[in-house]
Amino acid sequence: MSSPLALIIEDDYDLSNIFAQALQSAGFESEIVRTGDAALVRLAATTPDVVVLDLHLPRVAGMDILRQIRAEPRLAKTRVIVATADERLAETLREEADLVLVKPISFSQLRDLSARLR
Amino acid sequence: MRIVSQLLDVPSIDPDDARRRKLLNILLIGTAAMTLLILLATGVVDVTDLIGQDETTSLVYQGSLVALAGILITFVINRYWSGGLASALFLMLLTVIVAFSDEPRQVVEGRSMFLFAIPILMASVLLRPWASFIMASLSSLVITAIALGTLRIVPPLPSMLGFFAIAMGAWLSARSLEQALKDLRTINEELDQRVEKRTREVAEALSRNQAILESIADGVIVFDRDGQAVVANPAMTRLLGRSYDEITSRDVDTLMGEDVDAADREVVRSFLEDNTKSHAGLKIQWRDKTLSVSFAPVCDHFGNVTGNVAVFRDFTREAEVERMKSVFVSIASHELRTPLGAILGYADILQEGVYGPLSGRQRSTLERIVVNTGHLLDIVNNLLDRAQIEAGTLTLNVAPFAPIDLLDDVLGVMDVLAQAEGLELTSHVADDLPAILFGDRQRLYQILVNLMGNAIKFTDDGTVRVRAYRSDVDHWVLEVSDTGRGISPEAQSYIFEPFQSVDESPTREYAGAGLGLSIVKQLTDVMGGEITLESKVGRGSTFTIVLPMVPLAWSQPSKTKPNGLS
Repeated sequence: MSSPLALIIEDDYDLSNIFAQALQSAGFESEIVRTGDAALVRLAATTPDVVVLDLHLPRVAGMDILRQIRAEPRLAKTRVIVATADERLAETLREEADLVLVKPISFSQLRDLSARLR
Repeated sequence: MRIVSQLLDVPSIDPDDARRRKLLNILLIGTAAMTLLILLATGVVDVTDLIGQDETTSLVYQGSLVALAGILITFVINRYWSGGLASALFLMLLTVIVAFSDEPRQVVEGRSMFLFAIPILMASVLLRPWASFIMASLSSLVITAIALGTLRIVPPLPSMLGFFAIAMGAWLSARSLEQALKDLRTINEELDQRVEKRTREVAEALSRNQAILESIADGVIVFDRDGQAVVANPAMTRLLGRSYDEITSRDVDTLMGEDVDAADREVVRSFLEDNTKSHAGLKIQWRDKTLSVSFAPVCDHFGNVTGNVAVFRDFTREAEVERMKSVFVSIASHELRTPLGAILGYADILQEGVYGPLSGRQRSTLERIVVNTGHLLDIVNNLLDRAQIEAGTLTLNVAPFAPIDLLDDVLGVMDVLAQAEGLELTSHVADDLPAILFGDRQRLYQILVNLMGNAIKFTDDGTVRVRAYRSDVDHWVLEVSDTGRGISPEAQSYIFEPFQSVDESPTREYAGAGLGLSIVKQLTDVMGGEITLESKVGRGSTFTIVLPMVPLAWSQPSKTKPNGLS
């Protein structure tokens, strides 16, 4: 059985690397996309088990990506971890996201939490 | 009327002289009119030949013409030369007329004798009061001359005495009349001077106030009690780009119109209606300008409120600078936090041994990297908080929370630190404190972490204690106390100021930018609370924060939004 897939949608180079490393450490195969539209392209082609989603993204907003995932039956089982620096925004997403993490997010925190989603 | 007064009035510097010459003119014109009437009557009699041509008629003709000529000459002299000379001439003319007006005997001691009283009386008012005596003497001389020359009798002494008696009466009355007139004139002059002085003072005060009002750089509008603008200064017309009339002809609502949004209009109106006290520092958006407005009631001498004076200051630039400053700080903080987060993340990966096991020295070096980066992150976070508090953009997120959970959470985090220092950490929530309180849990957490972090840092051994209890019906208290080295009274005076750290030793054993306590204080202020410090050097410190049961953010929503920018 192949490893579950995690899609990291994050425009910051370092953060995306750290997130990817955390997900890999938790046993996921991770893939990074750094823009909103690239994320939509990947989501149309693959069915990741976990999406780590930054809300501030170039071109397509993270919020729109979240709504599109929730509207797509094929992605019904995909777990979404929202990563944002905006606490207020985080509060409003409790229903739609499976997990909301407020930046700064530590490597070990993300690794441990995502391991539970396997 | 003007022709009459032009005919009668003689311009003169001396008011007495002017009065006398006017009186003489009246008498002259009166006499001339009478003479003309006599002439007319004589003419009628002559033409109709009622009593036939006789000597008397021609005498009347000649006398009247001579009298008219005399009157005319006297009038001209009075008008253009000298009032005294004209009066003297007139009186002598009158005396001569009287002397020849009747038979000599009648003039000296009969019916016409008392006609001499007329020039005597007139002299006292036309010339000087004492001139009546001269006229009395002159009249006496005339009747003496007639008595001795024509009648050849002893001059009648009682008549002459009578003349002097009349002169005496005329002198007395004319003198008191002149005195009364003089007094009246003095009073008038004083009154004139006083009025002039007052007028000048009022004009000066007015022009001084006007000059001040016009040179004030801030816009000023005075509203009457009904909220109608009655006065505005030039700065105000420039500020609003409207003419004086466009401002002063309106009430406050019409004046603001659509240029000010409804919420600001409401505040301005309520401040204007509250005449009991001054209001300052209100910031409103007036079209593209931010204005700082203050209101003060205007009272009259009796303390009655007659209106309001409003001062408008253009705050647009300051507001923009403030906004840019806070935007800059928050962007800078955000930009700083992102790489710091990355550093911590990578360090975490290494620490977790993802890329292989670490040697002891690698591990301890990495630990220092993490600790110092953590410090830096704290400083950046504090700076961001300060910027938000100063810009007034820090908003409280008020929600119900359980105080016992709050203290547990803080203790959970701080316990690690305390244990590392070998300190005991205790917490206590009093029974009388409600299980659920309202407030910004995250900010309260931040306050406690700051206070307890300091307490742990400055306590070498002993206990750090945190307590929550109710102080009265409306307030509850968070208290952090330690058995540390304490804070000197001098340091206590500045400890809540930004960038002040008690530890100013060159070694800076305890790192920190000195922002922690200033933020604790400002957060407490924003919450409507009060922080106090009790400390003894060598014995320990106790920080007490008294907070309202009903959070400020609920009772006064405008407090966290002081300038309409967010």
